[in-house]
Amino acid sequence: MTTGTEANRSAQPERPGMTDGVASEFTVFCKIKQGHADALREVFALMRDQSQLSRDALREVGTLHYARHVIFDNDTRLMFASEFDGSWDTYIDDFATTSIAKNFDMVFRHTEGFPGITDPNVKDWFVSQQEPALVFSGSYPDLTVSQIWKDQRVNESFQAVLDTPEFQAALDNPANAALLATPAFQELLDVAAS
Amino acid sequence: MTSTTVLEFNDVQAGVLRPRPSPYVGTYLLFTVSSPQDGRALLARTLPMIRSAAEPVGQDAELTVSVALTFQGLKALGVPAASLDSFAPEFVQGMAARAAELYDVGASAPRQWEQPFGSTEIHVGVLAVAAERGGLDEVLAQALAAQSGLGVSLVFRQDCHMLPTKKEAFGFADGLSQPAIDGSGVPGTNTREKPIMPGEFLLGYPDETGDLPPMPSPEVLGRNGSYVVVRKVYQDVAAFRRYLRQNSTDLAGEERLGAKMMGRWPSGAPLALAPDREDAALGADPARNDDFLYDADGDARGFRTPPGSHIRRMNPRDGLDFGDVRRHRLLRRSTSYGPPLPEGVLDDDGADRGTVFVFICADIKRQFEFVQSQWMNTSTFLGGSGTERDPIGAAGQDDGGEFTIPQKPVRRRLRGLPAFVVTRGGEYFYMPGLRALQWLADLDT
Repeated sequence: MTTGTEANRSAQPERPGMTDGVASEFTVFCKIKQGHADALREVFALMRDQSQLSRDALREVGTLHYARHVIFDNDTRLMFASEFDGSWDTYIDDFATTSIAKNFDMVFRHTEGFPGITDPNVKDWFVSQQEPALVFSGSYPDLTVSQIWKDQRVNESFQAVLDTPEFQAALDNPANAALLATPAFQELLDVAAS
Repeated sequence: MTSTTVLEFNDVQAGVLRPRPSPYVGTYLLFTVSSPQDGRALLARTLPMIRSAAEPVGQDAELTVSVALTFQGLKALGVPAASLDSFAPEFVQGMAARAAELYDVGASAPRQWEQPFGSTEIHVGVLAVAAERGGLDEVLAQALAAQSGLGVSLVFRQDCHMLPTKKEAFGFADGLSQPAIDGSGVPGTNTREKPIMPGEFLLGYPDETGDLPPMPSPEVLGRNGSYVVVRKVYQDVAAFRRYLRQNSTDLAGEERLGAKMMGRWPSGAPLALAPDREDAALGADPARNDDFLYDADGDARGFRTPPGSHIRRMNPRDGLDFGDVRRHRLLRRSTSYGPPLPEGVLDDDGADRGTVFVFICADIKRQFEFVQSQWMNTSTFLGGSGTERDPIGAAGQDDGGEFTIPQKPVRRRLRGLPAFVVTRGGEYFYMPGLRALQWLADLDT
């Protein structure tokens, strides 16, 4: 005895959507409830007014590069497009009670069929609204959001060191000649030159 | 959030909630059933041996028998299709199908697994645990007698144990850390962690969101059940010891490097509380050896316990930049197997040894698979590179991992770490409550 679902389940790609390096794309197209487009615009206006809150919410997710909402087709449809490290749903369970979930709830409750962000079936609903991209490529496919933040901190610290007179003095000090001669340090100086 | 639900202890298998004797011996038995009737009869005969979590922990509480079924097993018992369809998809697929998600690749790939792992032959799993050999033999005799005259065959048997030293194969005290479960009366090991809602481990109760986790139907089958992950993992102890030797200048350095990789000293004393040297008294004290946080205790950056160390990956506590640790906790019921490699030996003696990992949870994907893929085998959550992995627990990728030990002025970074463990096989089980087992035994389809 076999069940039909079993075959269907394994035939279903678990996560539709394209990846490029560490990132994946996630785009959903939903039907806006009749007459709800203006209410939805108000939600987006509120999110714009509280842009710092929106940004904090993204930071909270930790894997989200960019996200945008678009109303189109004469106010009948909504697009949500985003890029995540790993897959969009990896962390979704972690945010059921956070501001990002509240934002999602505020937006998608104006679309048809949305079960609510804490509903156990919400992931399936999103997948049912998803359209996978046919091309997806990024200019830094190996960098995650958290690495970008880390790299930024390294660069800022490095630039601050370059601005100290003590660094110039250290370069001029013959005692450091051996260090300066290493290929690794030469690479650092190459970055420092411009 | 506190659970207002009273747990139905009398319907939960003792193995889920009750602590084990220590030391103990145990045996895993995996059966194939050839017809629904045979399978139901096997359950009916095994049922009287299973105690509930409500029974007082006393003399004979040192004997525990637990029973769980795979998806193939539920099918073999003739569970109706509507019910089969209500189980979690990853459970339906079985562990071998999840290899990519679990990083079971290379030497750990399912086609390399021990038989019958990765096949459809594993139907019913029985684990018997006892404080000593005599008791275990008695229980095993009963468990094996339960199949006599039935179309049931034993397809896998694995003896396991916890040694009096409480140490696993690499030489570290094991099983020290457990979450407290709200409403269970079973205390956790870390007073700094608020008890976890029961629905994270037991179906039919609110989880951390306050809602009920998805549960298989009918209600009688789902309620008081748990999903159980079983994985047999070989540990190459000689290779681990050689690695420590090759990357240290003296014995103290070896011990320190091992501790940095594990996050604890061999005694179990955590680096969080004993950053500089072994502290056997601390390691042996269950009231203290898991009672710590990271960020709140001033170690956000991991100068004491490296963020990439084994215990910090498995349970980052309050040290996560993003995500919610409480949604990825597991009850651990792992056991060691095989003879210890004698102290000081650096050459492999060819013996099979390691750990049979057992994790209990309500959502295999959100809990076990997440920890395995996000925290053990990748490092995005640490802001680390793609090649940074759990230096002790990551199997399968033998192309050389990285491990960073934060220290001042400059971190130490190890490169080209081999995998010290290999997945030998595993499967996803469902451990029903006692009424559910009776319901399965009474099926009449």
